[in-house]
Amino acid sequence: MSKDTASHQKGWNFEAAAMPFVDALYNTAYRMTRNAEDAEDLVQETYLKAYRYYDKFEEGTNFKAWLFKIMKNTFINNYRKKQQAPALSDFAEIEESFENQVSEDVARQLKNPEEELLENVLDEDVQGALDKLPPDYRMVVILADLEGFSYKEIAEILEVPVGTVMSRLYRGRRLLEAAMLDFAREHGYLREGEPAKMRSRATLAPK
Amino acid sequence: MDCKEVSLTLFLFFDNEMEEELLTPFKDHVGHCGDCAKRMDYTRKLLLMVRVKVIRCTAPESLRHRILTSMPHRRTVPGPH
Repeated sequence: MSKDTASHQKGWNFEAAAMPFVDALYNTAYRMTRNAEDAEDLVQETYLKAYRYYDKFEEGTNFKAWLFKIMKNTFINNYRKKQQAPALSDFAEIEESFENQVSEDVARQLKNPEEELLENVLDEDVQGALDKLPPDYRMVVILADLEGFSYKEIAEILEVPVGTVMSRLYRGRRLLEAAMLDFAREHGYLREGEPAKMRSRATLAPK
Repeated sequence: MDCKEVSLTLFLFFDNEMEEELLTPFKDHVGHCGDCAKRMDYTRKLLLMVRVKVIRCTAPESLRHRILTSMPHRRTVPGPH
């Protein structure tokens, strides 16, 4: 009976600690799976695993990050099972040197059209661009920009060094920016001074 | 700090991850370099868009219910067996 009571107490403790993060977990799950049903299954599975391993959680460490780490691992496993697209953390080989990327960007002067285009990005473009990012980059952008995790916390969740978080975040945000600007161009929000090739597309649109 | 170092640390600045001792040289450079000031302004706008425009999904009530009812402490009633 006392064992029952203890395990019950554990359950209630877990519930009180973990349930406040259900929206954050679901939001990330939805952005990663891009599908409500899969997102719900992923979050449910995350909670079941977290409940099971709650004894292993070290008091005083970051519980939210711990839950996200469990969800990240569950996501990777499920996607591997389904043999779907690129697995998280399996693509170290395609990661470019952070410094090289930056050097290229510095060499590329910021152009005025880019600034103007940014003004023309629609709300749904930001979301569309995020959904288009490869999973590893999408995950790191979500954790940093939507969930507000620190680099150290993201490193903990993804189980990679902080340097990798920085380079993935850099690359992820640059890819996101490029996709957002592409959307803005596609919408035909073109102003005077844009390259003629792009303007001709806009003039082809039916009147 | 030069333009390259500013570009390298721009996101760190906006993420509040910049080391204390880099803050002053960073701000000094940006204060005197038009290109970097422009880049910084653009990056601020970009990050703000990502952080503000993406709609946060909230967990459906049915999911909360599913999670809660699947937890063992809610399924079993403590007492004599």
